[in-house]
Amino acid sequence: MIKNYFKIAWRNIMRNKVFSFINIIGLTIGLSASFVIGLMIYYDYTFDNFHKDGDRIYRIVTDFKAPEGEFYNSGVTIALEDAINSNINFELVSGFYIERPSKVENKENDIEVKWPNHVIYTNEDYFNLFDYKFIAGHKSDALSKPNSVILTKARAALYFPKMLPSEIIGKTLVYNDSINISVRGIVENFKQQSDFVFQEFISHPTILQTRLREDFQNKNWNNTNSASQLYVKISENGNLNEIQKQLDALALEHLDEEAIKYNQSRQFVLQPLRDIHFNDKYGIYDWTQGQASKSLLRNLALIAIFLLLLGCVNFINLNTAQATQRAKEIGVRKTLGGSKKQLIVQFMGETFLLVVISSVLSLILSRWLISIFSDFVPQGLSFELFKAPLVISGILVLLLIVTLLSGFYPAFMLSKFNPVSVLKNQIVVNGNKAKLRKVLTVFQFTIAQVFIIATLLVGKQINYLLNKDMGFKTDAIISVYSPRSETELSKKELYTQKLKAIPQIKGLSIGGNPPASFSTNSTNATFIDGEKEIQTGLQFIHGDTNYLNVFELNLLAGRTRRNDTVKELVVNETFAKKIGFLNPIDAVGNSVILSDENVPIVGVMADFHQRSLRTGIEPMALIGDWYRPRFSQFQAVHMSLKSESSENLRMTLKKIENEYKSVYTEVEDFRLVFMDETVQQFYNREEKVSRLLNWATGLSILISCLGLFGLVIYTTNRRVKEIGVRKVLGASLLQINTLLCKEFLTLVAIAFIIAIPIAWYGISNWLQDFAYKTSIGFWVFLISGCAMLLFALIVISIKTLQAANANPVNSLRSE
Amino acid sequence: MANTLLSLNEATRTVNSGSNKVTLLDNINLQVKEGEFISLMGPSGSGKSTLLNCIGMLDSFTGGGYTFLGEPVHSMKEKNRSKLYKEYIGFVFQAYHLIDELTVWENIETPLLYKNVKSLERRGLVADMLDRFNIVGKKDLFPIQLSGGQQQLVGIARALIGKPKLILADEPTGNLNSKQSTEIMELFSQLNKEGVTIIQATHSEKNASYGSRIINLLDGKIV
Repeated sequence: MIKNYFKIAWRNIMRNKVFSFINIIGLTIGLSASFVIGLMIYYDYTFDNFHKDGDRIYRIVTDFKAPEGEFYNSGVTIALEDAINSNINFELVSGFYIERPSKVENKENDIEVKWPNHVIYTNEDYFNLFDYKFIAGHKSDALSKPNSVILTKARAALYFPKMLPSEIIGKTLVYNDSINISVRGIVENFKQQSDFVFQEFISHPTILQTRLREDFQNKNWNNTNSASQLYVKISENGNLNEIQKQLDALALEHLDEEAIKYNQSRQFVLQPLRDIHFNDKYGIYDWTQGQASKSLLRNLALIAIFLLLLGCVNFINLNTAQATQRAKEIGVRKTLGGSKKQLIVQFMGETFLLVVISSVLSLILSRWLISIFSDFVPQGLSFELFKAPLVISGILVLLLIVTLLSGFYPAFMLSKFNPVSVLKNQIVVNGNKAKLRKVLTVFQFTIAQVFIIATLLVGKQINYLLNKDMGFKTDAIISVYSPRSETELSKKELYTQKLKAIPQIKGLSIGGNPPASFSTNSTNATFIDGEKEIQTGLQFIHGDTNYLNVFELNLLAGRTRRNDTVKELVVNETFAKKIGFLNPIDAVGNSVILSDENVPIVGVMADFHQRSLRTGIEPMALIGDWYRPRFSQFQAVHMSLKSESSENLRMTLKKIENEYKSVYTEVEDFRLVFMDETVQQFYNREEKVSRLLNWATGLSILISCLGLFGLVIYTTNRRVKEIGVRKVLGASLLQINTLLCKEFLTLVAIAFIIAIPIAWYGISNWLQDFAYKTSIGFWVFLISGCAMLLFALIVISIKTLQAANANPVNSLRSE
Repeated sequence: MANTLLSLNEATRTVNSGSNKVTLLDNINLQVKEGEFISLMGPSGSGKSTLLNCIGMLDSFTGGGYTFLGEPVHSMKEKNRSKLYKEYIGFVFQAYHLIDELTVWENIETPLLYKNVKSLERRGLVADMLDRFNIVGKKDLFPIQLSGGQQQLVGIARALIGKPKLILADEPTGNLNSKQSTEIMELFSQLNKEGVTIIQATHSEKNASYGSRIINLLDGKIV
């Protein structure tokens, strides 16, 4: 029976090659997207879900509130652990401190590793909290004494290559040239996805032998470092509210006076273990991995669902349209005793076969898609994940859902045919079914249309962001950073001297970061205006007296600073306004208090954008290098170039690099950054969104147009006779084409009207994130509508022109 | 005395055509005994096909009583009716109505599939049937590759595979030439002798003469 069904299904697929092809393409695209995106969701949601009692494990993190905003730190003050250690609400309290040793040596084998990462100082409780498998050594005593370390298998292989775990136990490693630590245990690395990437676990008391000795001897409540991590396991009947109250009380008790004065507060917050992978407020330990984003996953899932729906719609449309062709078979089967149920099963079987073919294709495609979308797909995700039982059963469920979704209605409709009328050739195409097809087509094109509009508008916004005047010169500006270890100013000055000889360089300045960058350096500034005290955050950029000229920053009033070390401020207009001077000139000559020191404002510069245009302009001041010679804020030489051909530019860059090498002979750390590239990097996320939308748009247009093509073939074939008669009666090619296209273009037009408000709403929501946004122009909608119509017209015309061109004699002869 | 296979008691079928009520079958009274070979005659539109469809339970009477093997079909649920029908009735059509996508073998096999006959048994039954009709060599051909007479043979073989008590044939030779017609009618005659009850609708006096009884229909009435 089943075999019989599949045989017929296969013959039907082969008989209607075009329709089967359209169906399979649509379903394959939808399924591939679902597979890859589903895999991503599975991957991200299975992080750290394997720990025993994981739902009771929390990380304690710190939230700071201040008038300037909220700040988040994934660590807590070192003092907190002792304060909560005896709390009965916690079954386990385990803190650890992340600290990279500068060097680890295995003297016996003469192996030296510089700056190994993922090293923590912790105790036995860590291993009670997270279940590591010990290959050698014992959990109970491995970290009980100072100067002990547990290594993961991977790390052990790095320090002690080609040695058995049991041989490594008891060996000595030398940390930071002086601390001798013996290996007391080897653990297996986690096999499942985990954010706990640590490789080396040094016993906690050992930390007293490092530079952190003082911090741990006098545990200070007012110092929070993200390296100091604290985990707790809530006891089984622990009350979260009560714990939070106790933590709040602790935070209040240890609030320092400074904080009270400035209206700042701090809260210790319990972060669930499963939140760590997604919450970018606190981050993950291996920041090279990029944080998973629930909203990105949600959007991706939406796209997958839409693509899948489009594929299903094609299926429903084409199968109901073709129903009459199968009517006879159905009629005969019914007279032979086939029940409605049996027929439904048969048709569902056919659908299932198509879905299975598509899914096999999708699996093959997925492998390739994972590499194409490497920007979105997490690094650790591999094709192997498809073997996970949950994924396999997920795929099966998905296949069943898709089969039901696309197969049920056609099967139900087909099986309803009355055999008597079918066999008498009396079936009339029911108006309702045609209506359903129309609704579904409109649905498809609405989705495609929304994607088109969104793509255009997102592109427009990105274009706007990149081309909006930042308020300073961004093109033909390059910055060369000094080697990271370099603190001396003299070499930069020497380098600048040498660069002056290059004629293509227009201006030179030694300074800190350029006016717009990813890093910020800010402090609190107080301005006393009579009796009123104004407090505000103030960001700094650092630069020499040439800085304004090189970046073409406008000085509105006053003057630039006299030299690099004098404590004077050139503030931006926003700051001047913030402290009450609407007219820039009035601000000049006043002083503000910066950490108990009065610093005069000597000039006011025009506002410019300090970061991406998502954020507004903050108060800012240009200052010199105040802490010289203790340390220097000046890390880079900025230069503006004369505009030139790209050939000359390459020459100039070569010269700049050669001069660098002549000054910094001992290190190879040449870092040259173009200002306009930095600006572009501000919008990486937007570029990603845009790229994703491009794909979604292309695919949804493809699926929808294929479906439309199928419908057109079908309808046109049915109207061949009518077309013949009309031609005999004298209709022109154009008239016939118009007649045939009209029906479909109306659907596309309706879809357009429905899509406008949806797209408008979606995009205005997205634009909310930006302080500066492009206008949602009417012409964008118009263009996208025209584009969609054009696509549809081309697709329709392929078939209708052919039909209209056909010789009427052929279509009329047979009757 | 043979058993009564079916009986119609004032059976009527009316349909609404627009606002008019059209009577297709008007108070038909008919008793069919097992082993009979009945020919329904009458001009086009007299209700022959409708009567066959109604007897075959593809359509239903809108009034009157219909008893099949002692069971009241008119008051039966769809499910039981379909069971009865699958078990006892086979159809032969003028236009053969073979399933184009299936081979000869598969066409003949299909009714058995719907009766949930086991695979091994099916194979035997179908092979016997092909043998009996001398079409073993054509078992893997598709209907389109056969002549009209051959197609109708397959149609009859398919109707017989379920061992029905009653065969309903709606102008079985309407699309065939006279030589083929004779062959098919001889076959029906042979089947009837073996005990199958047959009701055929036909225009042809010659074909009707194969039957044991002729019923004339005019405007939905037996005359």
